[in-house]
Amino acid sequence: MLGGVFHAAVLFLAAAGLQLVFGVQKILNLACGSFYALGAYFGVSLVTWALGAGAPPSLFLGILILSGVLLAAIGPPVERLLRTIYDRDESFQLLLTFALVLMFEDVIRFFWGTAPHQLGSVYLIYGQLKVGALTIPVYNLVVIAAGATIAAAVGWLLTRTRFGRLVRAAAENPRMAEALGIDLPRLYSRVFTLGVALGTVGGALVIPATAAMNEMGIELIVEAFAVVVIGGLGSMRGAFAGALIVGVLKAVAIAIYPELEMLGIYVIVIAVLVLRPAGLFARAAA
Amino acid sequence: MATTRRTFLRLLGGASGALAARLDVPPAFAQTGPVKIGVLAAKAGVTAPVGESGLRGTQFAVDRINAAGGILGRRIELVVEEESNPKDTVERFRKLGLQSRVDVITGVVSTGVGLAIGPVAEELKTLWLAWDATTQKGVEETMPKPRYSFRSVDNEAEAVMASILTAKHLKGKIKTVAGINNDYSYGRDNWAAFLAIMKKLEMGVTPVVDLWPKLGETNFTSHVAALGQARPDLIFCSFWSADAPILMKQAHAAGLTATTKFVMTTAGGVHESLKKAFTPEGMILGYNSMYFEAPNASPLLREFVRWHQERFKEWPNYESDHAYFTLAAYRAAVEKAARAAGGKWPSTDQIIEALEGIEVESLSGKRSYRADHVMECSFFQGLSTHRNKHDFVTIDPVEVMSTRQIQKPSGTGLYEWINSWKA
Repeated sequence: MLGGVFHAAVLFLAAAGLQLVFGVQKILNLACGSFYALGAYFGVSLVTWALGAGAPPSLFLGILILSGVLLAAIGPPVERLLRTIYDRDESFQLLLTFALVLMFEDVIRFFWGTAPHQLGSVYLIYGQLKVGALTIPVYNLVVIAAGATIAAAVGWLLTRTRFGRLVRAAAENPRMAEALGIDLPRLYSRVFTLGVALGTVGGALVIPATAAMNEMGIELIVEAFAVVVIGGLGSMRGAFAGALIVGVLKAVAIAIYPELEMLGIYVIVIAVLVLRPAGLFARAAA
Repeated sequence: MATTRRTFLRLLGGASGALAARLDVPPAFAQTGPVKIGVLAAKAGVTAPVGESGLRGTQFAVDRINAAGGILGRRIELVVEEESNPKDTVERFRKLGLQSRVDVITGVVSTGVGLAIGPVAEELKTLWLAWDATTQKGVEETMPKPRYSFRSVDNEAEAVMASILTAKHLKGKIKTVAGINNDYSYGRDNWAAFLAIMKKLEMGVTPVVDLWPKLGETNFTSHVAALGQARPDLIFCSFWSADAPILMKQAHAAGLTATTKFVMTTAGGVHESLKKAFTPEGMILGYNSMYFEAPNASPLLREFVRWHQERFKEWPNYESDHAYFTLAAYRAAVEKAARAAGGKWPSTDQIIEALEGIEVESLSGKRSYRADHVMECSFFQGLSTHRNKHDFVTIDPVEVMSTRQIQKPSGTGLYEWINSWKA
């Protein structure tokens, strides 16, 4: 069960990036998976370099988050490229963002090669927690807490700040927002960068428990889409609930009837599409 | 001079005439320039590291052969194309055969791709020496008697060897077993072979849980939790990519490696990622058909390991050896057939005859092709140890078994063969 929540936390971050960008810019960004993969590789490199330069190992969590935030600097140029197709048909958006996925795969291959990369020994630095017969790595709890914190922070940002009001206004009616003096290109650039950061931080956070491999981005896109369909496209609360449903359902299936591991998720997806096509939280846009 | 319609038509006629003439020329002209060898290597996805390893073995072989004067005096020229999905890879195979006019094609690691290429190799009469791509079911059903394809070792040979070693080291010590294998033919076949052998060797073990994560999964926390709940004495796993270290890391973090024995049939393919920090000692660990620190390593293997380490800062794995062998075997077969043909460059049919039963020195030792076009070689497995100079585990003692012992003989099915073993 906790394994499922751990998975859900990571899934949420990636799906939240997807939702935010779709909610505001109406772009279905397949490249969110690439940001996740890039975050993982960059996290490995930065932590390895920092530890090699003498940073205390217990600081690695901070370094990982920092690496995710730093990497979000690729957000503005990518957004500048996507700006050319805001008014086009969705199929153009899918094609262009999928092209980005393929290009980022090559970028990763160019810089990091094809072999998997990992952080050997930092996973258990924060220790293990024993609950009865169960042993839980504390780091898993840290990731869950980080996921929840980031969810709360993004929620606060969108509903309680001036920036959030502008974002919601732009999502609701971009023409009117622009007429009222909102600098739309600048806002889009910032929103997109925030979306990138959610993905890169997610990738960086998960890396101590796993290994970075090139196709991890594509794997995640598939699951993130299941999350988005269940939760409702463009909704943050939907991303949160969808990630929890997918993560926990997967864990329960593995524990009870492993053959259902993949199928279970898609049964729910189909059920949502048939019974509530707009998703569970369709109304609460962004 | 302005080109009139008439001169244009004449030009066109001349060009097409020249083209037709060229197509009429028998491939004799190809026997003086370099030997063109097509290579199909994966560059993206889960199989990318495997494809990369095969390419490294290929490069090493080509450098050596060319430095020694090539094959019958002809230098080797590589034409590398990508192995991706079956449909596209078949197109590239055709392109290599028809357009690049290569003499032979090597490569391919995915069984799905291999099954699609098999019939095309027959159709084009293009010689194909596969690196891998040989899980049981498909190969038995769709490639029963190939002429132009030469296949690799059975993919299940490592599960067979690991199962025999499980019996050797753990008979009477384990009662319950669990499996975690990828949800496709290779994973399914390995688990089935393991259970069949446990039964045949009267191990008296009960399977308590079998998990089937998809290929490419990077999070096993839920699987590890399920394994922890089932509390098996032994976990059998045929992971061969980045999922192997991820599973070990997460199993270790959940305390599973302290209480449960592990069998990792093929994780030696990513041996450098099995860090001591989370990989236990005493685990049965398989390296497929080449072990980089074999105690009786030949000068050739030592040279390759040194070359590989200097060039890539990594220790090599088995796919390099599959690839090296296909080229070494091709060269030996051409030379053998040429001797029989009075020194002339042999025809494809003559090369095929020479390849059947040929034995050459490969990186891992002597390797050969059976008369039914299946490879014979040695497999390397053993118990993992932390006593080495690396930050990852190696094996000690190193056990070596020939495919004559762990691969089904020609003409039988895998399970039919296992059930025919004498206890």
